[in-house]
Amino acid sequence: MNECILVVDDDPEIVNAIAITLEREGWQVRKAYDGLQALDACLDPAVKLILIDVMMPRLDGLSALLRIRERRNLPVIVLSAKSEDTDKILGLSMGADDYVTKPYNPQELIARVRSQLRRYTSLGDVNAEGRRGLILNGRLSYDPAGRVLRADGEEVKLTPTEMKILDLLIRHPGQIFPAEEIYRRVWNEDAFSCENTVMVHIRRIREKIELNPKEPDYIKVVWGIGYKMEQH
Amino acid sequence: MDTKWNSTDKEREYYAAPLKDGRPGGGRVKGPAGFLAFFLGVTLVLSGLGNLGNRIAWERDPSPWWEWDWQETDAFRDEAARYLREFLTIGAGGTVDFYDSAYWAEYGGDVSVVQEAEAYRSWWGFYPFTEAVVVDRGSAEQGTVFSESDPGKPKEDRDPDEAYRNDKNVLYYIRTGEVKDGKIYSNMGSGLDKLLARSVEGYNFYLQFVDGKVSIFKDGQSLDVYGNGLYTGESQWFVPGYDNFPVSKDLEGVKVVMAVRREPQRYYGIDYKDGGTYYSSAFYNIARQVEASRSFYKTQGLLLGAGLACLILWFLLRRSAETVSRKIASWTLHVWTEARVLLVAICAVWAFLPGFLSLDSVYDLLNGYYWEWDGGYSFSGWGMAALRLATMNLSGALAFFWLCWLIHNDHKHNPKEGRWSLLGGLFRALRARDLKRPVEKRLSRRTALIILAVFLLAAEILSLLINLTVAGYPSWLLWTVYLLPVLLAAGALSLFQLCQRGLARDLGRLAGQVEAVRAGDLETPLELPEDTDLRQTAESLNDIQSGMRAALAEQTRSERMKVELVSNVSHDLKTPLTSILSYAELLRQEDLPPAAADYAKIIDEKAQRLKTMVEDVFEVSRAAADQLPVRLERLDLGKLLRQTLADMDGPIQQSALAFKVELPEEPVMITADGKRLYRVFQNLIDNALRYALEGSRVYLSLKTAEGTAEASVRNTSRSELPEGVDFTARFVRGDASRTDGGSGLGLSIAKSFTEACGGSFRVETLADLFTAVVTFPAVE
Repeated sequence: MNECILVVDDDPEIVNAIAITLEREGWQVRKAYDGLQALDACLDPAVKLILIDVMMPRLDGLSALLRIRERRNLPVIVLSAKSEDTDKILGLSMGADDYVTKPYNPQELIARVRSQLRRYTSLGDVNAEGRRGLILNGRLSYDPAGRVLRADGEEVKLTPTEMKILDLLIRHPGQIFPAEEIYRRVWNEDAFSCENTVMVHIRRIREKIELNPKEPDYIKVVWGIGYKMEQH
Repeated sequence: MDTKWNSTDKEREYYAAPLKDGRPGGGRVKGPAGFLAFFLGVTLVLSGLGNLGNRIAWERDPSPWWEWDWQETDAFRDEAARYLREFLTIGAGGTVDFYDSAYWAEYGGDVSVVQEAEAYRSWWGFYPFTEAVVVDRGSAEQGTVFSESDPGKPKEDRDPDEAYRNDKNVLYYIRTGEVKDGKIYSNMGSGLDKLLARSVEGYNFYLQFVDGKVSIFKDGQSLDVYGNGLYTGESQWFVPGYDNFPVSKDLEGVKVVMAVRREPQRYYGIDYKDGGTYYSSAFYNIARQVEASRSFYKTQGLLLGAGLACLILWFLLRRSAETVSRKIASWTLHVWTEARVLLVAICAVWAFLPGFLSLDSVYDLLNGYYWEWDGGYSFSGWGMAALRLATMNLSGALAFFWLCWLIHNDHKHNPKEGRWSLLGGLFRALRARDLKRPVEKRLSRRTALIILAVFLLAAEILSLLINLTVAGYPSWLLWTVYLLPVLLAAGALSLFQLCQRGLARDLGRLAGQVEAVRAGDLETPLELPEDTDLRQTAESLNDIQSGMRAALAEQTRSERMKVELVSNVSHDLKTPLTSILSYAELLRQEDLPPAAADYAKIIDEKAQRLKTMVEDVFEVSRAAADQLPVRLERLDLGKLLRQTLADMDGPIQQSALAFKVELPEEPVMITADGKRLYRVFQNLIDNALRYALEGSRVYLSLKTAEGTAEASVRNTSRSELPEGVDFTARFVRGDASRTDGGSGLGLSIAKSFTEACGGSFRVETLADLFTAVVTFPAVE
């Protein structure tokens, strides 16, 4: 775990804080304080991941991101104070692999960095896994035959009920299931005020697969309708 | 479910009910009773007053209404005087026949004296009451009938007093003068001394003529006959002996004593000689008339009294009676205006036309004249004439009054817009059709109508002139005088229409432009030719348009700036906050002395709170700038509430509060942004968790009624809720010390988000009870 991570932010204190956090986890850190510096620094082959702020002098984060993409293929996590959905969508569509809003939770940031590095380094051959009949969704890979769920390549232990719920949701990404339907399919019983039961299980699944269970990326509630698995 | 709230609600309803209804259960009886009292009261009072007015206006009483003694009436006086005249005629040696009242012919005395007195009297046989006598003359059986013993006896052979011999109401004693040898005539056989002593039983009125003077005794009292000695005709005794009505020489030595019965009887005298005519006692008629008048006044007094009593009853019940009036108004609302006018007109004709016809002309009415029964016009003043008119047909007048009342009642209770008239409806329908056309078409049509009318007039005059010419009035002057102006007018109008067409066209374009600006077209200006009437107006409109464009651009710019500002401020706040949080976290990981570790923890906690607040402020600001993006979709509000509760199950279970949830089983579909609405209820539940009294219950319920879905969260506040505080305002908290963990934005966010989704949000407080209500229109 000696990968080098490039941290780009115009605020040196933030760069410093992130650097300390990451170094404590055992990574090496390179620092840059604007987009142009980032462009130079990213050419260092030791850099395996970039954490980049959006609003920076000289060259902003998203423009830098586009140019970095021209030179290197490596995971980029955008770190921004802009927390709106449109900003996130913009960042992700410009080629970012993840989007973390400031003020960030250090633990979550570490988890996201680790997740990206794992997928980039350890699971390089994602397409090959897809051919083996696996269902891939972001950092999740699910083997329907063996009923095995992996997140960032690591197997996630789920109870049988949790596994049934996850099986239902991950096979139909994007499709919304009302709690009654989940209950009927998983428990094979007619549903009667099952919202709480289903929610409890979903919360447990989230705690196992999500990086930040409070702001889940995968199993989402569609308020007033049901639950769904987001496709990444 | 705990029933505590239910019972409280019921109690409140129970107390509120009497306030709403006034007197519970009373309206059903009191209303109709009150109205009936009103109706009867007004009808009785009006008919009583009408009858009295009628009687006064037509002078139907023989005496003033307060005079109830028939012997005190003018009629009695006249009749008694007439008797005296007849007896004096006999006393002077003349003969009196039936109906032979013109005694001066027989009397042959000093005619000039009589004629002088005549000057004060219009007519000898003056009976102001004749028409009003309520005596059945036809049924002779009712009275005593007698006839002459010998109808064939010639007039010369008869006694001079034969006509009075059988009089049942008058006793007389006549002693002729010296010239006639002092003969005595009397219809009283025995007891003549009683008559002279004025003490005959049943007779209370005595009149005696002795030595040229008349003295009168009524009930033993002597009356003043001559007054100051001059005869003026006003309620005086028309008897000789005044200074200006001296006694003739023929009456020297004549003595007459007559007595009149207290209660006169009815009798008939029949004179077969003159072809069977009869003649009944006038005294009886006078007495009966006074009696009738008396009973009339009694009846009317009773009616008036009953009417007033009814009105008092109505006054006590007037509130309840008003409901009946309202009800009646709701019925009369449907009567067309034309029908109302027609009804009133018919009723007015029925009620007042007879009165008008009784006058010779409206002129008479306007000048206060009316026809007198004695055959002449008399001036009675406006009031009396109007009174006659109004009381001619009392039932008609009453009907007219109630009709007017109905209309007044209708106008009082029903709005003007509710009334419906046939003509108005027709006009409105035509107008609505007309309004669909463009404005220039409407203008042209109107002018065209006027031109058509003028041409029709011209044609009409032309045909008239042709007819006149054919009939032989070949006057070219006539032609020029009448036809030329009309033709000129028609020509001028046609010219006017030509000019107007351009104006109408421009007006149409102007109206179109105004409509376009309203619809949002702020780019294309209206170009009218230089020399047209509306050029100036069009330019003004263009100015307004460009002004609006500038204002709109300015507004859009400032809105964008506002949002950008909020966004930038938020960003600038978050950047240092990120550093604070990061280093606080790092600090916490250091091996610090216990006190320093505590400080670091506090910094971390407060920075976390600051982070929440910054995020809340950002969202609230965006909502305030109407920049909150929402994705509306159909969703089940009940399910959303269940999901929210399940999502917040952890904190709810940890709290010392009991949640009482009442959600319908069936879906409650609304249109909203699920994520935003989740935030709304998350905030509300969070609010309850944060501020509700420990150990108390929180009620979350969802109800649907009349097309709306209403979700409410109710809890008992931990601290006293200040009154008159808008809890949904930004940074307002129930707790004035602001030391709790809230940002003061929770309810503000809930309100803005609800409204952004198209719902409504309100907060109600009652003592310590806090209720937040979210309402959405239900979707099928």
